Amino acid sequence: MNEEKFVVPAATFTEKPDEYELKVQIPGVGKEDAELHIDGKTLTLKTHAKYQNPAGFREVASEFERTNYAISADLPEMADPKTLTAKLENGVLAVTVKKRPETQAKKIDIL
Amino acid sequence: MNTLINMDPWSFLDDMLNNVGGNVFRSMRARAAGRFPPVNVFLDDNAMIVDIQLPGKTSKDVDLTLEAQAVVIADKPAAEDGKETAKTAPAWSRRIDLPFRVNAEKANAKFENGILRIELPKAEADGVRKIAIA
Repeated sequence: MNEEKFVVPAATFTEKPDEYELKVQIPGVGKEDAELHIDGKTLTLKTHAKYQNPAGFREVASEFERTNYAISADLPEMADPKTLTAKLENGVLAVTVKKRPETQAKKIDIL
Repeated sequence: MNTLINMDPWSFLDDMLNNVGGNVFRSMRARAAGRFPPVNVFLDDNAMIVDIQLPGKTSKDVDLTLEAQAVVIADKPAAEDGKETAKTAPAWSRRIDLPFRVNAEKANAKFENGILRIELPKAEADGVRKIAIA
């Protein structure tokens, strides 16, 4: 069996008043090549590279290569894993998860 | 030990990097900051293919220019209020020299999963012509 090599992709994690957003850069990966799992509060992403050098061409410059990505992260305590959504667009995977209602920030009116 | 000129030998380099307001070191800094998108270039007898990694970008975000001897891929500065911000310099650009003349009409570029593939077919050869000696 071939041994597969995985690279940790560039990722940003943002906290918003009512949700968290994780953005992962996985250029060259299509929807069908990405596996996203949640186990308890642990989120795991694994992708299998699809990017191919054009057939019959010789490579004259190579600054990036076909890459398998893998990353794993624990959701914050306040996140509700049931509300998790994921969208892959233009090589960026955006995962959002809502905060549990009782933990969301509330604006308090000053009387 | 006294030095002839009392200065940090590398400070001039820092000054250059910090004070040159123009474009001279922009690309160097962009590369250092990892903001320079990587490219792959492929060749065969009839075409050149350039792949450039631009996760999250679409055709709206990139300027592609075919020059006589090079193809230039540059970031398109985000337009504010729908107006083109022509004065803003692109954050990065990559210039790839062409080894042959390109048939501009047949050149095409397509985004797929955050990688832009540019196909540049070779222009028809000028043809070998025999010249009669009078």
